[in-house]
Formats: sequence, structure tokens, C-alpha cells
Amino acid sequence: MSAVIKDDTRNQTLVSLRGLNKHYGDFTAVDNLDLEIQDGEFLTFLGSSGSGKSTTLSMLAGFETPSSGEILVDGQSLVSVPPHKRDIGMVFQRYSLFPHLNVRDNIGFPLAIRKLGADETRKRVEAMLKLVRLEPFAHRKPSQMSGGQQQRVAIARALVYEPRILLMDEPLGALDKKLREDLQDELRQLHRRLGITIVYVTHDQEEAMRLSQRIAIFSHGRIVGLGTGYDLYQNPPNAFVASFLGNSNFLRFTASGNGAGHFEGQPVTVRLTPGLANGQEALIMVRPEKALALTVEQAAREPLPAGWNEVTATVAELLFLGESQTCHVVTQGGTALTVKALSAAGMPMQPGDQVRVRWAVADACIYTDWAESDLSKGAGAH
Amino acid sequence: MKVAINALHNAQGAPSGTGAPGAAERRPPISQRWRGSRNLLPALLFLGLFFFAPLVGLLLRGVLEPEPGLGNYAQLFANSAYARVLFNTFSVAGLVTLISVLLGFPLAWAITLVPKGWGRWLLNIVLLSMWTSLLARTYSWLVLLQSSGVINKALMAMGIIDAPLEMVHNLTGVVIGMSYIMIPFIVLPLQATMHAIDPMVLQAGSICGASPWTNFWKVFLPLCRSGLFSGALMVFVMSLGYYVTPALLGGAQNMMLPEFIIQQVQSFLNWGLASAAAALLVVITLVLFYLYLKLQPESPVGNAR
Repeated sequence: MSAVIKDDTRNQTLVSLRGLNKHYGDFTAVDNLDLEIQDGEFLTFLGSSGSGKSTTLSMLAGFETPSSGEILVDGQSLVSVPPHKRDIGMVFQRYSLFPHLNVRDNIGFPLAIRKLGADETRKRVEAMLKLVRLEPFAHRKPSQMSGGQQQRVAIARALVYEPRILLMDEPLGALDKKLREDLQDELRQLHRRLGITIVYVTHDQEEAMRLSQRIAIFSHGRIVGLGTGYDLYQNPPNAFVASFLGNSNFLRFTASGNGAGHFEGQPVTVRLTPGLANGQEALIMVRPEKALALTVEQAAREPLPAGWNEVTATVAELLFLGESQTCHVVTQGGTALTVKALSAAGMPMQPGDQVRVRWAVADACIYTDWAESDLSKGAGAH
Repeated sequence: MKVAINALHNAQGAPSGTGAPGAAERRPPISQRWRGSRNLLPALLFLGLFFFAPLVGLLLRGVLEPEPGLGNYAQLFANSAYARVLFNTFSVAGLVTLISVLLGFPLAWAITLVPKGWGRWLLNIVLLSMWTSLLARTYSWLVLLQSSGVINKALMAMGIIDAPLEMVHNLTGVVIGMSYIMIPFIVLPLQATMHAIDPMVLQAGSICGASPWTNFWKVFLPLCRSGLFSGALMVFVMSLGYYVTPALLGGAQNMMLPEFIIQQVQSFLNWGLASAAAALLVVITLVLFYLYLKLQPESPVGNAR
């Protein structure tokens, strides 16, 4: 299920990051970053640890000063504004509640700082307690609550002063899977109800897909992919995003003429790709669930439809994963491929069998420019 | 002494760590809470024999010698010279506590904030000063502070003062020397408390809108409270009973309670009055300790909400 909400009424830029850099000595944590964050959107920074996503968030919050570049909110520079004057809400990975205050006072803290009247404070804190469904726990100390409850307090504390931007730094990372999924649903609903701009940092791609309207994929301090989860998954802009997001098969082929080429001596058809020259090495990327594995008999029964490719391979391993099944095959040239299908569809082959792997030309992405390290998973860190 | 610090620290640290929800509301029945207390017997026997028995003996002497009754106590409060001793003791202990808190807090903070290696160095210097012989350190202050000492000479050379300041053999000397000696005892618990504070909590404070100043008063200082209290209490209680430094740096006319007790025993063989004074010291300490536990919300006798 996609969390994308099509809402074209709010398409103004709220935050602009322009040429943002952060160096620690020789180390470049954030490398010349440009990004426009829309008003009211749920944007996720996705990347492995050390990819610069948390540093970027820290610069937005004001805990880190950019080495160079601009952070603009509504056209106003934020770089020299200290954190306490930014009016940004933030939820931290380890909750970071005030241990000496009870839940009510934790949530009321930002209002006390702003010297809001006692009545108004009580009203707003009550509303927040209700929003995060923690009314019975108002008098508890943070140490007397579970992780999920503490994180809900942290969210209430960040929302109570109605900031326009809410930053969340892997807020669910410390929670177990079931609770994480519950809170993800709560967060998505909260965002829909409040219409606040949320910038969310995570290394969990499923979480990113579940929550966000747009995802920015970080690698080596740069944004290498930006778009909806659907677009990034179905049409990755580069080989790194393809390999980072979900699973992928890469086939090296040599182009010959327009939209055609050879993969390990077998002819393949590819979609028309600008910049693909005759004789050039390039990559075909096919998602495992978009490829089909057929036994020799099946392949003989079902002729190859128009607009499909077929290569021969040998089954190396079959894995049953509950609702789905995967089949690992190796081509004659030694390229390992994975084919994934729903268990209901069935896979009648055995390890060692000859199979035909088929995929539709339209489902395969072509990359002419890539680095070898892009193709291995989790290569986003330094 | 390190043991004492840890004990003090654990006294308020441990219950909060195991602070299960609603621990105060539903306590297990008394038989269950004391289960296994038989294992305490050897320790209790040892304490009883070597600590409580002599203590009780001392307290008895205070009411039995030279004749049964509360005469010793009456004398202690009635005689203005003795009252003066009590006043000296409390004002010196209070002043020493205040000064060591004011100096120890920034020092503990610095140890927490500087890069790790440096912090350990600073802490080692503090510990080293604690492990050096007390007498040597007290005598060095005598050398520094006396009228022909380095400090007076330097001040006079700079033209700040004309005549040497009298900084020894009076309460000024006692306060200076004791503050120096007590600083480690406030730095150690305070540093441990500060070290345990999650710096992200302070970041959370600032993103919530607290300026550095507000953040310090509303978040950092309350979180230091337990360390500050235990350190200050220890310094105050130790200062009440300190003997060596006041004896060396103080004057004969401005005595403190421990000196008074020794004088009564050694010079006048007045065990009764000395015991009464010692008992007073014990009672004051116990009262202070009780108040301290009361103020710690996590302690067993604290105001559990």
C-alpha cells in the first residue's frame, strides 16, 4: 500500500537547502546538497549509516553548522539562527525526554519556555495527551513508561508548540517490529490530520515506503534519488538506487544498434535509451518479481510474447518464504539472478534444472553509467 | 573514602534504576521484603561489636559522667564559649560547602565536557590531590598562606596590599584549607551525575525553545541535583567533624567542635563533656542525612508520589 496522497493544492517550497556542505576535517559528511522541501509534505531521508542523512537533519535543527551553503525557510536564512529560535520540532532516536519531569510537564516544557498562560498551557497539553492517547499516564515519569509510550510523549512535546516543521531522527529505531508498525500508522494519520511538514530520517526502506510521500536517498553525503517510493522503486534513476531499494538483478550486456544488444551471446531487446552507443557495455536491471522462471517444457508450451526477453540459466537454489518463493539461477556466463514469485503460482523446477528466465522489456531499466560498488547492497556508507 | 562516595551515590541511584512503575503504591508484604535477611547476620554482628557498642558507650558517658543527668548537655549550650565553638563549626562547614560547590561544579563540568583523554587527566589530578598525605597538603597551605608566604609576598610585590594579610591561625585559613581538601568529594559524585546526563536531552531542551541559560537552569541543574546534594551533604558532614586542618591552620581562640572534643579529653580529661559534644555531632549528622533522604524523591523515606 502506498502512502502517497495526491494533493496538489500545497506545492509551495517551505525549506530550501542550497549547496549545503559539511566537512569534519578531511571527511565530507554532506557534499554540496540541494533540496527543496514542500510545505506539508512527509519527506524521508533514507540511507545507510554514515550517508549524511542525520548530519543534514542536524543542520536543519541547528545542532551542526554547515561548512558552507544555505538553509532557507520561507526565503529566510536559518544558518545563523540558534536552535532555540528556529521554532522547529524534533523527535530523537532515544526519546530524550526530561527525566526529572513527569509526562505532563515534559509536554508543557516548550510552552513554559514560551511563557504561555496557565490555562492555555493546560488546554494545549490536554489536547496533546489526547492526541497521543496518553491521558492516563500524565503523572508518570518517563522512566516508568515503555519505549513506545515515551516516544509518543516525545512526539507530543515536539508538536505542542505547533511548529511548521517536525524533524524525526530514526524515532522508531529502538522499538520492536510490531510496535514500530503501529506507530508508523499513527504517524501517517497524525501527518494527514495536522498537515505539518515532516522530515523523517531512517535506514529502514520499508518504513520509508510506508510513511512518506517523497523519499530522498542518501549516499556519500549526496542525494542520489528523490521521488515517491513508487517511482524510485519502479524506475530507479541509477544503479545505486536500484540496488539499494529492494532487490535487483543486474545483467551486463553489449549494445548493438537501437534498443538491442547481446547478453552473454544471447540476443536481448532493451527499451530505447538515450546515450546508448553501439558496442557499449551497459546494465539491464530487472526486479526479481518482474522476472519469470520457466522450465524447458513450460517454455516450449508458452511461446515468448512480443516485447519479452528470454535467457537460459541453471537453477542453483529454491527458497520457500511463506507467501512468496525465490529461485536463484546462474546463467552460462556466471551471472547470478533471482526470480521471485508468489507461492500460489508454484515453481516446479529442481536445483540443477535448466530454466528459461523471461522479463518484459518495459519492466527493465537500462544504466549506461555506474560504479562497481553501486551494485553491492548497503554501499551507501563511507 | 571512595567507598563512602559510592555508597552515597548508590543510595540515591539504585532505587531510581529499578524504579518499576508503581513501586511506591504496592509494596510486597513485609515477610517477603525481609526474606534473606539472615545473610546480613555476620555484617550486623561485626557492626554491632565494633561500631554500635563503642558508640553506645560514648553516648552513655555523656549522660553518666561526672554524674548521671543531662548536665553536660546543659553546659554545652549554656556556656557562651562552647556555643561559640558550635557556631564556628557550623559557619565554617557551611562556608566550606558553599565554596567547594561553587568551585567544584565548574570543575566537574569541565571534566565532563573536555575530550575524553583530557577529562581523565583532570580527574586524575583531582584524585591525586586526594591521595596525597593530608598533613603534607595542610602544611603546604601553611607555607603558602603565612605572613611571609608566597601569596602575601606576591600581593605585596604587586602593590595590592601594604601589610601581609592574616590568612592562617584563624578561620580564614581553616576555610581556605578545608575547601581545597573537600573539592574532590564534591567533584566525584557531581562528575558521575553529569556524565550520566544524556547530552541529547540538552539538545531536546534547546530545540524546544530553551536558550542556553534557560536550558542550564531548567534542565541541566535539576538533572545534577542528586550529585550536587550528595556531594554537598558529604562535604558538610565531613567538615563538621574535621580535625587535622582546623588544628593546623586554625587559631587557639577560634576552635571547632572536633578540636574542642580533643581538648576536653586530652587536656581536661573531661570525658563527659567530650562525649556530649561527640553525641551532638552524631545527632546533627543523622538529622542532615535524614533530610537529604527526604529531599531525594527516589529514596525509601522520600515523599513518594
